[in-house]
Amino acid sequence: MRLNTIEFLLHEGWDAAVRNGLVTLAAISNVAVALLILGGLVLFGMNVEHMASLQAEAAVIVVELAEGADAAAVEEALWNERVKNIEPINAEENLQRTIEGMGLGLMESSEASAELMIELLGANPCPASLQIKPMDPQDIPELARQAEGVEGVAMVRYARQVTDKLLTMARGIRISGVVVGIVMAVATLLVISTTIRLTIHARRDEIRIMQLVGATNWFIRVPFVIEGVLDGLAGGAIAAAIVLPIYSYIEQYVGQNLQFIDLIYSAQALVLFAVALVLCGVVFGAAGSLMGLHRYLRQV
Amino acid sequence: MIHLQSVSMIYPDGTEALRDVDLLIERGQFAFITGHSGSGKSTLLGLIYRDMVPTAGSVIVDGQDVAKLPPRRVPFLRRKVGVVFQDFGLLPQKTVWENVGFALDVVGASRREKHRKVPIGLELVGLADKGDAFPHQLSAGECQRVSIARALVNGPSILLADEPTGNLDPDTSWEIIQLLLNICQQDTTVVMATHDREIVDRTNCRLVQLAQGRIVRDAKEGGKYDAP
Ligand SMILES: Nc1ncnc2c1ncn2[C@@H]1O[C@H](COP(=O)(O)OP(=O)(O)OP(=O)(O)O)[C@@H](O)[C@H]1O
Ligand SMILES: [Mg+2]
Repeated sequence: MRLNTIEFLLHEGWDAAVRNGLVTLAAISNVAVALLILGGLVLFGMNVEHMASLQAEAAVIVVELAEGADAAAVEEALWNERVKNIEPINAEENLQRTIEGMGLGLMESSEASAELMIELLGANPCPASLQIKPMDPQDIPELARQAEGVEGVAMVRYARQVTDKLLTMARGIRISGVVVGIVMAVATLLVISTTIRLTIHARRDEIRIMQLVGATNWFIRVPFVIEGVLDGLAGGAIAAAIVLPIYSYIEQYVGQNLQFIDLIYSAQALVLFAVALVLCGVVFGAAGSLMGLHRYLRQV
Repeated sequence: MIHLQSVSMIYPDGTEALRDVDLLIERGQFAFITGHSGSGKSTLLGLIYRDMVPTAGSVIVDGQDVAKLPPRRVPFLRRKVGVVFQDFGLLPQKTVWENVGFALDVVGASRREKHRKVPIGLELVGLADKGDAFPHQLSAGECQRVSIARALVNGPSILLADEPTGNLDPDTSWEIIQLLLNICQQDTTVVMATHDREIVDRTNCRLVQLAQGRIVRDAKEGGKYDAP
């Protein structure tokens, strides 16, 4: 393509965006809002999934041994190809962990607390146990059922609710995210195509002249697509410029005040996310303007 | 050059604008199309530059049946057929130079081509010194000259003019006709729809008269507006 042609097309596109000042502003802010909601949703969903997978990774089955059971024999019986590892925990250790887990630290160290507890109760309330880590957290219920049938096993426990809930929640968020995402995408496309249709209307004389002097349809389209891309680009950039600082702030706040929540945070991931938002804007901009043009150019 | 064969045009709303029209216009000829308002003059021109497709018949332009032209080829027909209207159709925010250059931009011309051809076009219509003016700074006659320059700048072999003098006073109209006759001399076929009795009678050109979508008279040369 010739330099003059490129210059002409860019100039026409830019000109259209500037000349339709208010409409352009409306389009940009609509795109920004849509992408803001979309982006916020994606970040939220990603974090829930992240937490769910952290939880799922940490999920174990606790197999409490009957009194006098042979730990090695039970371990042997529990092994299969879906088990990642089995960690034997003797009674003292189990008590210490229980104390830590429940925040019952009466003394400055958990060893000391455990000794105090045994002294108070006259015996160790915690049995020796085995911790089974599965290859795949989804196998936990099945593995737990198998473990219940093994000789020398007194009780099988796992954090059924927590794991199940998080996995369900992650799935729910993913589904609703996709639904809301599609709605937002359609809304954005409509906004941009409407904007472009307004621009087309404002410039119908110019288009008519272009057609009369022999401009091809794609040549007529390009400036409008450029206009749509500019709208989308600006909207995406604004959305990114709003979402990122807010997210950083939330991450910082959570990091300081709610330490049990571990949010995704890496400069690289966030830059990638910002680029994705802007690209989304660009793609929506181009697609929206093509939609807006489609009907019009067929008519004439 | 332009050959209409058994052409009928019925608009989607059922209006019959042309009925069984046969018309042959040779290369380099100058032809007036006259007739009452609503007789089908604009429709006839519209068929030639493929603004619409006839309901029946064929419209041969430059050896090609325009009625069968696929839409994506239409722009290339339009580069061979310049059009001019009563209302000039200039872009108000562009200068005269830019308005003429626009026709070149739109067909993907290079900057050098543009700088070569625009001055030639402006020279041809006698506006070489008005390049920097905006349309609102020009007289109606000058605006029509700019629109003629724009129609010609891509070097079409046919120029269609639909009542180009409709908005002009008699003297200015006559100047525009002189210009169109000049253009015709340089081997461009010119077809002009008009109501202007005086112009037709003063020029001694071919005259095709329409009435209710039919050709009722075709005076090969020296046709007078009112039949003798
Ligand atoms: N787009 C259209 N849809 C329906 N009917 C139309 C359309 N354009 C023109 N017509 C009708 O077709 C007939 C011919 O119209 P046309 O414009 O060709 O006449 P004309 O000779 O150019 O008239 P004028 O001198 O007023 O310009 C008229 O009856 C008109 O009402
Ligand atoms: Mg007419």
